[in-house]
Amino acid sequence: MNVITSIKLYIEKMCSESGPGMKTMLLDKETTSIISMAFAQSDMLQREVFLFERIDSGRSNERMKYLKCIVFIRPTKQNVQLLAQELRSPKYGSYFLYFSNIIPRTDIKFLAECDESESVREVKELYADYLAVNPNLFSLNIPTCMQRLNWLPDALTRSVHGVVSVLLSLKLNPVIRYRSGSTVAQTLAKQIFEQITKESSLFDFRTHENGAAPPLLLILDRRDDPVTPLLHQWTYQAMVHELLSIRNNRVDLSGIQGIPKDYKELVLSGDQDEFYGKNMYANFGEIGSTIKGLMEEFQRKAKDQKKVESIADMKNFIETYPQFKKMSGTVQKHLCIMGELSSLTTKRNLFEVSELEQEIACRAEHSQQLQRIKKIIGDERTSINDVIKLVALYALRYERHANCDTSGLLQMIKSRGGQTHIIPSLIEYAGTHMRQGELFNLVRIAGAIKLTRNFIIGLKGVENVFTQHTPLLKETLEEVFKGRELDSMYPAINSELVPFRRPPQEVVVFMVGGATYEEALAVHQLNNAGYRVILGGTYIHNSTSFIDEVLAATENMQFKHTKSMLRHYASSDNY
Amino acid sequence: MSNPFGDFDDDGEILEGFICPICREDLKSLEFLISHFERLHPEEDDLKTTFREIFSKAKKKIKSNFEETFDLSRNNASISSRGSSTASNAIAKETSNARSRMNCFNFMDYQEVGKEQQHMEYFQSMRNPRLERYASETNKLIIRLHKLLKDMPIDAVLRKQHEQNIVPWLDGSSVKLCPNCAKSFNITRRKHHCRLCGSIMCHDCSKFLSIEVALELASLTMAHSESLKSENDKTASTNPQQNALRTCDHCLWLLETRQEMHESRTSRPPIIQIYNDIQQLRKNVKPDIEMYLKIINSLYDGESIFTLNDASALRGKIGQVAEAIDILSKRILAIPCEPGTREESLKKSVRLSCIQLIKENMLALPVLPKEDEIRQIQERKRMETEMRIATERRQAMEAYEKYGLEAAASGHSLRTDDYAQGMDLHSIDNWTAHQIRNDDLVQSDDPLVEQINIIKGYIKQARQDLNFEVVETLEINLRELQKEFYERQRSLSRTANTPNGDNSPPSQEAGATIYK
Repeated sequence: MNVITSIKLYIEKMCSESGPGMKTMLLDKETTSIISMAFAQSDMLQREVFLFERIDSGRSNERMKYLKCIVFIRPTKQNVQLLAQELRSPKYGSYFLYFSNIIPRTDIKFLAECDESESVREVKELYADYLAVNPNLFSLNIPTCMQRLNWLPDALTRSVHGVVSVLLSLKLNPVIRYRSGSTVAQTLAKQIFEQITKESSLFDFRTHENGAAPPLLLILDRRDDPVTPLLHQWTYQAMVHELLSIRNNRVDLSGIQGIPKDYKELVLSGDQDEFYGKNMYANFGEIGSTIKGLMEEFQRKAKDQKKVESIADMKNFIETYPQFKKMSGTVQKHLCIMGELSSLTTKRNLFEVSELEQEIACRAEHSQQLQRIKKIIGDERTSINDVIKLVALYALRYERHANCDTSGLLQMIKSRGGQTHIIPSLIEYAGTHMRQGELFNLVRIAGAIKLTRNFIIGLKGVENVFTQHTPLLKETLEEVFKGRELDSMYPAINSELVPFRRPPQEVVVFMVGGATYEEALAVHQLNNAGYRVILGGTYIHNSTSFIDEVLAATENMQFKHTKSMLRHYASSDNY
Repeated sequence: MSNPFGDFDDDGEILEGFICPICREDLKSLEFLISHFERLHPEEDDLKTTFREIFSKAKKKIKSNFEETFDLSRNNASISSRGSSTASNAIAKETSNARSRMNCFNFMDYQEVGKEQQHMEYFQSMRNPRLERYASETNKLIIRLHKLLKDMPIDAVLRKQHEQNIVPWLDGSSVKLCPNCAKSFNITRRKHHCRLCGSIMCHDCSKFLSIEVALELASLTMAHSESLKSENDKTASTNPQQNALRTCDHCLWLLETRQEMHESRTSRPPIIQIYNDIQQLRKNVKPDIEMYLKIINSLYDGESIFTLNDASALRGKIGQVAEAIDILSKRILAIPCEPGTREESLKKSVRLSCIQLIKENMLALPVLPKEDEIRQIQERKRMETEMRIATERRQAMEAYEKYGLEAAASGHSLRTDDYAQGMDLHSIDNWTAHQIRNDDLVQSDDPLVEQINIIKGYIKQARQDLNFEVVETLEINLRELQKEFYERQRSLSRTANTPNGDNSPPSQEAGATIYK
């Protein structure tokens, strides 16, 4: 199970089915991202796709009848209309229509009636309707999916489509379980189930012949674990996303001073960049030393390149130049990123902040932690955003603690000029009243930490204080694979498929409210241990985007659980 | 860069062996390590117990390994890596971040293409009736057009008659309004007829199909358009209405669509032609590149199927194709077009893809090994083979020694037989090597030798033609033949030398390796 491979296979299918010859691709906004995350433009060139065009913006009227046109769009009403226009006055010689999801027959009929010059050669549904971020991670790119703690209708439809297409592209007909008590998870599960029932012929995969347990689709709610997206991350991919933010595999460095022109926007794709692929889950310290090794190798090679004395040297130079060039690009790119990460780390005092974050997430020592938070708030080096996150963690952690002093901390934030309404919003969004399961399971975590701590002293870098926290998802999945009884916490919607006490072979997790790269790492570790898990979410969050989502989800609603923080509400409308 | 995860530079290397976790001394054996540990580090009591545990585990593992190979002394199994990290792994089984450094992106277990759903049939069933109706209508129009154009009188009155003869005009008496724009007919807005379908419209709604285009359209179905054209050339006048046919909107649209479809199917602008040439070259050179890589690998492996000359000849050929592609793609770029158009970006993309192809697949080929390098590799390979044979032989002997007692009881001396075997092989080797030098001249009466010679001839020819796939299969054939030849010679000589040489298990294997 690899979502990147799924998307690639679909795109390759489009390219090969349209036969040899020069091709252009007609895409919409979303399919453009889907393709660009799976293939670099150079890869598409090698597949004879030379031009790309967006169906929904700024099209020229140039006719190029000698080109084949691969149309790959989402089957939305608007896209169908635009495509109908195109077919009425075709600009290209022939058209191959691929829809990224299930398209109503009436729309096909409508399009067929528009194709008066008989230029359509193929009409197909290929279910590449999600962004494949890592082999085990997909996103639907919905930054905010909720409004007043319920689904935004568009986001719900998109999520149903996205998850259904993931299932179809991996050929899974799963048992659907959702987090009980979460209406958003339940609504999504229901609609996905309805869609599967409606299109039962599509989902007829005949995989249960060997008696294996059917795959599992587990729909979770971000609000069960609001801690993970708030923590600082120290593994490469997660850290880059947290500090510099990754959008569609791209990192925007244009706002940073002293960045060379070619490195304003960097592509981080493990598929195209071997270094990144190998090190995306490695921690900051490890990457530091790896990149040093890479530098040394590069310098050695550069030295070799310099001494061009004989014809043989010259020939050698020409022959190895392309690899050399490629390597220098990789080194430069990651040096740029690492340089930026480490300067931010020092500037924002992140080591200290992160250590405390991990402590709050994993250990209950209220008074001591409160003191440390106050000390950090007083430290000028820590940015106000980091302070807010710390207080947010504290508020979530000690919401029901007798001596909880969230108000006092909020007052301190206010005096530093920070926005305090985030904290009550977060508690409304994902406070104790919303959560299920043991997010702060003291006994378990404390025990594990005691052990690791003791060993950290003697060992450098293996495990450390900055990566103590493991996301709740990991535990949930371990339970699933152990074959634990799930019905009470994760009821199944199509229970007739549920096998008797057998853990599933394949699991697709979908997180309403967004997944994180830390969770992707946990899934990666499980996959390395031989399980087959794919994680997806409405979005891939870092702390900033998560806070935005929380604010959007709680906007304009009445707060019930945070009366004590009354004066920190966003505006008087809430009241 | 400040690094909270510890400095990797000094302890990054992984030490192997029986290493003391505290002073990092390699102590060569388990007994030494434990005594060293007890002597020098008595204070770390708890650690000691853990190490005992680890080692007892390791011991078990090693033991099981030993049982498999039944060779205690030579197995150099080692307890890996820094002792301290072993300890932590054994006790704290917490999985660390990114423990496996495998690139998860290269990890591609086979995956089939996901589900798809076909809609073309339905699409066609919806599209076809409509298209068929249009097609038959268009065909009718073209036939009429042809009839109209054929023997068209020049005189206006006669022409009108001619037109009405072919297409009956609609009776206009009951039509009060133009069906197209719904304006009433009167003195100034007169009724007109479509010359192709006979329907009525006003002048403003009329379209005109020029005779030239009409001729072209008609010639789609009829061959003798040339004569028509020459006739009509004389009739060409300046009046556009005279030089054109009045038609209605619908008829003209049908004809234009037909015309356009025809054009788009037949048009082959220069860019397409050059592009197809490039694709052809690309397709042709692909097996060459694969072959080249194969040859290079085989050379580096010390095999002698291919020679260095083969590789450099092929490389030259690939280089030539690269150059040809480069020239062709430049020619595409040189086709004139308006700046800023999509055509221009298309040409740039094509050129870019060619450059990319040349750079990555054709110029970045691995370098040829040097002549003496190959010799070294082959020498080493030979040595390795000899070593292997030697060890195999020794192992076999050891095995015999082990079971020798039982064998001795049965009164059959395998050992001497084995020695005899070795001697025997040796002599055959010498003798046949000599044989091969002469067999071109002398042994041509043997059909096998004859076959060998023929194949050698073929190989020479295939080399000249740079057809390396053939070279490869032939070389393999040749080898098989030669092997067969040797086997026969040997069995001949063996039946002469040792009459009871049937029970000699390792000889088969040893014999095969010698000829490599």
